[in-house]
Amino acid sequence: MLARFWGTRGSLPVAPTADIIQKKIAHALVASDGRKFADEVEAEKFVENDLSFAAGGTYGGATPCVEIEAGNGSYLICDMGSGLRQFGLDSMRRNAGGHPKVYNFFLSHLHWDHIMGFPFFVPAFDPEAMIRIHSGHPDAEEALRRQQEEISFPVPFDWLRATFEFVTLTPGETYEIDGVKVETKLQHHSHGSYGYRFTDITGRSVIYSTDSEHKLEKMAVEAAFIHFFREADLVICDTMYSLADSVSMKEDWGHSSNIVAVDLCHEAKAKTLALFHHEPTYDDEDIERMHQETIRYEELTRDGPALNVICSYDGLEVRL
Amino acid sequence: MDYSFDERGDAMVVAIRGRVDEATWVAFGVGLSDGIEKAQQARLKRMIIDLTGLDYMSSRGLRVLTVAKREGQEAGVEVELASPNDVMREILAISRYDKLFKITDTVEAAP
Repeated sequence: MLARFWGTRGSLPVAPTADIIQKKIAHALVASDGRKFADEVEAEKFVENDLSFAAGGTYGGATPCVEIEAGNGSYLICDMGSGLRQFGLDSMRRNAGGHPKVYNFFLSHLHWDHIMGFPFFVPAFDPEAMIRIHSGHPDAEEALRRQQEEISFPVPFDWLRATFEFVTLTPGETYEIDGVKVETKLQHHSHGSYGYRFTDITGRSVIYSTDSEHKLEKMAVEAAFIHFFREADLVICDTMYSLADSVSMKEDWGHSSNIVAVDLCHEAKAKTLALFHHEPTYDDEDIERMHQETIRYEELTRDGPALNVICSYDGLEVRL
Repeated sequence: MDYSFDERGDAMVVAIRGRVDEATWVAFGVGLSDGIEKAQQARLKRMIIDLTGLDYMSSRGLRVLTVAKREGQEAGVEVELASPNDVMREILAISRYDKLFKITDTVEAAP
C-alpha cells in the first residue's frame, strides 16, 4: 500500500515567486561556504543532506489530491484539487505501460479547491477510460458539471469521452471497491465533508480526513473519529490552523489543527500522522516550523507508543 | 486531576493538579464552570487558573479553557492563567494559546 501526494495545499493553489526562489538559492550558496561540487548530482546531495527541507525544497502549492495504491490495480484517488492535473498526466504514462484505465475517485466534498483540477484531468477525454466518482454527496455530478458550464470554463462536461459513473456512499456501510475495503464518515464542514478509511487485503489502512472541523462544544463526538482512525497505519489529516486560530477568528471555517490531529491519533493508536491541507498564506519555513512544533507536542503528550508525525508535500510518497 | 478554589483579593483562584486529557476534560470543565459561578456570586472580576500542580494539558483541556473564557465573558469574569510549568509553557506556545490568554509566572504576579 502506498500514498502518493499530488496536492497538499488548502483553499487556494500557491506558487513561489522569483523573490522566494532567489532567497533559497542565496541561502544555499551561503550555506555551501565556498565548497566546490564536481557535478549537479553532488550538489543535489548537498541540498538534500545539508539543508533543511524548507531551505532546499518546497512543500508545493497544489490543492488536495492524494493517490492510494492498493487493491487490484485500478487507480484510487482522493479529491480533485489542482494536483489532479499532474496525476492525470502521470497516469497516462503508466497507462501506456499497461496500467488499467480505471479511475476510482473519492471526494471529501465539493468545494472549489477539491474539484478545480477536474477540468484539466486529461484522461477524462480518453474513450477507453472508466471514471467512477464516489462521494458522500448526492450532488457531486451537479458540482462537476456546473464548474464546466460556459460561464466558468470553455469545455462542457458532455464533451468528455470517458465512461462516467457517480456513486453515492453512505457512512456506516463498508464497500469493497476493486479489492479495497472503503468506509466513509461525515465530518463537520460547510455543506458537509466526508472522511475515508481504505483497508487493503493485508489489513493495512489509510485514513483521508480533510476539511474537518472538530467543534469546541462537541468534543464528546470525537469518540466516533477515534474509532474511525483506530490503529490506522497512516492518517492524512487537516491541520490547517493553530488550535488558537481554529477556536477564535477562524472558528466555523471548517478546519482543524495540528494539536487536535495528534490527540485524535494518539487516542486511536494510529502509527503515522501526515499533516495536510496546508494554509496557503504559509511559506515553506512556516510549514516546517509547524511540523517541528507538532513533533514536539507529540513528544510532550505521548502516553503510549510513539506517533510518527510527517508533513505532506507535493510529490511525497509514503509506503506502508 | 483534581482542583480546589481559593478567593484571593479580587480573584477566584482555581488550582489544578494532575493532568487534563481525554479522561479528565469533562471534570475539568465542570470545575471551571463552577469557579466562574463562584466568582460571579462573590462579585469577583477575575478567575485565575493556577497551573502550578498541572503536569500537562492536551487539546481537550485547552479547548475547555476556551469554553470557560466564553462563559466568563458572559458572566463578567475574566479568565487568566498563572504559573505554567515548562511543559505547559511549550504547549501554550505551540497551540498559540499564549496569544489568547493572559499568562503570568505566578498567581501573585497576576495584576
